[in-house]
Amino acid sequence: MFKINLKIALRNLWKNKTYTAINIGGLALGLTAFILLLLFINNEKSYDTWDPQLKQVYQIRERHDFFTPDNKPRWQHITDSRIGNLLKEKIPQFSAVTKIDNGWGNSYSIKIENKEPILVSDIKNADSMFFKVFPYEFLYGDEKTALSKPFTVVVKQSFAKKLFGTDQVLGKQISVLAWRGDEAKPMTITGVVKDTETPETVAFNAMTHTGRREVDPDRPQSTNYCQVYALATQKLDTTNLNKTLLSTYITFKKANFAKREIKFEDFYKNGYNPGLKAVPMTEVHINPTVNSTWLEKIKPLIAISLFLLLISIINFVNLSTAQSVQRAKEVGVKKVLGVYKQQLVRQFLNEAAIQSFVATLIAVVLVEILLPSFNRQFDINLSFWYNNHLGTLLLQLFGLFLLITLLAGFYPAWIISGFNPVKVLKGNYETSFKGIALRNALVILQFVIAVTFIIGIGVIHLQNEYIAHKDLGFDRSKLINIATNYEDNFVERIKHIPGVQYVGTTTQVMGNSFNVPHEIKYNNQEYNLNTVTVSMETLPALGVEVVKGRIFGSQYKQDTVNTAVLNEAAAKLLGNDVVGKFYKSGKDEFQNTFQIVGVIKDYNNESFDKAVLPTVYKVTELGGTSSTNNLLVKFNTSQNKAVIQAIEKEWSKLYPNFPMQYTSLEAAFKKELQSGERIMQIMLLFSVISVALSLLGLFALSAFMAQRRTKEIAIRKILGASDLQLINMLNRSFLILVITANVISWPVAYILTRQWLTGFAYRIDMPIWPFVIATVSSVLVAILTTSMQARKAAVNNPVNALKYE
Amino acid sequence: MIKLENIEKYYANKGVKNYVLRHVTTQINKGEFVSIMGPSGAGKSTLLNIMGMLEEPTYGSYFFNEEDVTHLGERKKIELYRNHIGFVFQAYHLIDEMTVYENIEAPLLYKNVSSGERKSRIADLLDRFNIVAKKDLFPNQLSGGQQQLVGIARALAAQPAIILADEPTGNLQSVQAEEIMELFKKLNREDGITIVQVTHSEKNAGYGNRIITIEDGVIKEDLKIG
Ligand SMILES: Nc1ncnc2c1ncn2[C@@H]1O[C@H](COP(=O)(O)OP(=O)(O)OP(=O)(O)O)[C@@H](O)[C@H]1O
Ligand SMILES: [Mg+2]
Repeated sequence: MFKINLKIALRNLWKNKTYTAINIGGLALGLTAFILLLLFINNEKSYDTWDPQLKQVYQIRERHDFFTPDNKPRWQHITDSRIGNLLKEKIPQFSAVTKIDNGWGNSYSIKIENKEPILVSDIKNADSMFFKVFPYEFLYGDEKTALSKPFTVVVKQSFAKKLFGTDQVLGKQISVLAWRGDEAKPMTITGVVKDTETPETVAFNAMTHTGRREVDPDRPQSTNYCQVYALATQKLDTTNLNKTLLSTYITFKKANFAKREIKFEDFYKNGYNPGLKAVPMTEVHINPTVNSTWLEKIKPLIAISLFLLLISIINFVNLSTAQSVQRAKEVGVKKVLGVYKQQLVRQFLNEAAIQSFVATLIAVVLVEILLPSFNRQFDINLSFWYNNHLGTLLLQLFGLFLLITLLAGFYPAWIISGFNPVKVLKGNYETSFKGIALRNALVILQFVIAVTFIIGIGVIHLQNEYIAHKDLGFDRSKLINIATNYEDNFVERIKHIPGVQYVGTTTQVMGNSFNVPHEIKYNNQEYNLNTVTVSMETLPALGVEVVKGRIFGSQYKQDTVNTAVLNEAAAKLLGNDVVGKFYKSGKDEFQNTFQIVGVIKDYNNESFDKAVLPTVYKVTELGGTSSTNNLLVKFNTSQNKAVIQAIEKEWSKLYPNFPMQYTSLEAAFKKELQSGERIMQIMLLFSVISVALSLLGLFALSAFMAQRRTKEIAIRKILGASDLQLINMLNRSFLILVITANVISWPVAYILTRQWLTGFAYRIDMPIWPFVIATVSSVLVAILTTSMQARKAAVNNPVNALKYE
Repeated sequence: MIKLENIEKYYANKGVKNYVLRHVTTQINKGEFVSIMGPSGAGKSTLLNIMGMLEEPTYGSYFFNEEDVTHLGERKKIELYRNHIGFVFQAYHLIDEMTVYENIEAPLLYKNVSSGERKSRIADLLDRFNIVAKKDLFPNQLSGGQQQLVGIARALAAQPAIILADEPTGNLQSVQAEEIMELFKKLNREDGITIVQVTHSEKNAGYGNRIITIEDGVIKEDLKIG
């Protein structure tokens, strides 16, 4: 029985090749997007699962306000380095505790003997306990002693191969420099560990041990922050553990405050509570401390791909129910031959299963094809067949396949097998033809999604254009930013290079900014301003526009002491007429008076979706005190390459062990644009697919409608209806659906896009054009699509249709 | 075999009852070959459909093999279709996507007849109806008469006790019609299969041994012949 049903199914699918292709192709596209997402989610969920022992490893988090974006206390994974010893002494459940320097995301220079230095990321520094907590598999070297001496380093196998071309590197020496001025002190490789199979939170290419991490600061008032991880003797009950941790922490804090003569109650007030807790390693990635979770980030993508899948399922349902007329006779006959409805349902479900199975296979192939560009796009490394959890993945795919089969197949199967045999066998399909209302509703839903997508792209596109061409208030052309501090020697040298116009440093520039709040007193009122420390030539290098007064200049001696320039936002806050006036800042003996010498136009020194803050610009020393690694160099020539080469030459004379890093401001700007553009590209791709799928669905549906009404059309023709009249008649019902869909999508799209726009400080007003274009194009294309079908039916010779009956 | 008691059937239209069948009481015994005749619209097909449980009467009771089947559940009905009743239609109603062989095989599959048994029965039927050469063709590759032969073969495959045929030769030329009628006669005589057919032709009715004439939903005449 199964065999014959399979045969019938294949014959039917073959007979309706076009629709089968649309069904399967649509599902395959929907599934592809979904599988990609699934891979991504699996990957995120697999963080820190590369060894069972990690279930016993905990990340320690402390609540404090150091280095938080808003200067308010938060849970953070960088903790007071003293916590390490505290846990070792006071918490017996922990068998090993390790402290790791918090990397600040900078690149390191690695130098091997006399070779040119190279820049690499993910070099970390830990105390000697690191490999006792994290169960890395040592290929070479002894894990017990690997990091026990200072100036030792353990490298990953892949990294060893990259550096030396082999993993047999035990005993070789490398120098690791965190900063340009560091001394090149060689470290000995004492171990090579295997790369992990799943991603790690504490990812490293090389784990160094300088010995610095072992010591805590002497003075009780100074704190050194690092990451702390602990290995427990067994998997612990986190709630209990955290109670113990908190009470231990409070005792520790009280002792520390006693030495500093601070009252515990004075420190922790206004909702600032002491806090220390352990988070199981396997949950760390899902619960990041500062950033939004990965789930939060990909929510829009999940929504989009669900919609895409929905559209393809709707196509499937619509086409299958429309096609059901063809199967009516089969159902009627089978029923009088003695088939249970249930058996029929199963038969049609099997047909759906065949199609979704093929669709799943195609989707897998598509995923394989698309993965490389998907990986590039999202800067990750996913794979399908080389997935570590291929078993789970296949199981998930099977589940997905079942779900799709049921979603897409059940309703049509139910409808088809519900045909009343007497009616069908009398040739009366129409009255037993159910599900038209639902099908119409589905077509509307499909078009609501498609039209909303089109409007969405329109709005996103306009916003992106607006931002790309927005006046940022500074001139980003011929401007590069070298990742280094201002050092007179270097600056003097490069100033002599022909083509270099200005050289300056700043604490805030697009791509790398460091917020420093600054309280001032002006006219006896307190204001909170953002401070940017610059050097003399910075503002000219940025090409900012002076609104009133002047900007800093070396001819004004006092500029290095007590003058300030405001931006317009700050000037407005203080009451506009500020040039020449004075303000005070600092407390008691540290109080200084500054004179405001000029006002400049607001410029974006941070990401452009952040509003420009009221800002005061100061030059504290001739060179500025900025240590935030920005050195702006403005050229007055377009021979960028030659100038940069000349600068690099000067650099390598001064800092032979550290390669020069720089970005152009144009590139920094592009990078800022990127996230918006990424969403745009994906939206565009998905919308094109969803619109295409919806249209294909409409195309097929109208074909069926026309086919179903062949006899009616023939008779009408004999009665004298013109082709155009017939096309109109066939079009009308679809047109109503598409227009209804548009009416629904306008408010939906309006709400969604407005929501999206509120994420930008600088945004366009809600444009009308995307709405108009979406409606006009969807209606036009729908008419075109259905007309093609209607025309075919209408111009046919009526005799054929009647003879056929 | 079939006992109808006071069967009534009407369609309500705007509150007006349009009677199709009135006070139909009759009995069909095992081994009979009954022809139902009457003018168009008289209610012949409706009566046959009621006998085949494709429609339910509005009033009255129906006994099939002494069992009250007036209001029968879907499952019981299907059991009867599988084992006792075979249908033959005027428009043949073969499944277009199945070959001749597969069409005849279909009811056997639903009855879970073993594959060996299936093969021999189908071979037997194909042979008997002289359509062995056509077994791999699809319905639209056959003439009307051939299609009806397949339709009858399919009805017979499950070895039913009764065949209900609504104008089985209505779409056929007289030569082909005769062939079908001879076949019915033979099945009735030699295999003892009860046959109830609706027909417009006196000649076809002559093949059977009883004629029920219906007019305006009422049995006008019930005549034994032969
Ligand atoms: N679904 C229905 N609704 C209303 N009236 C119906 C319906 N089905 C059948 N009828 C009516 O019942 C009557 C009997 O129909 P039936 O099909 O039994 O006639 P018949 O004797 O088989 O005619 P013919 O020889 O033309 O096939 C007809 O008058 C028909 O109009
Ligand atoms: Mg009839």
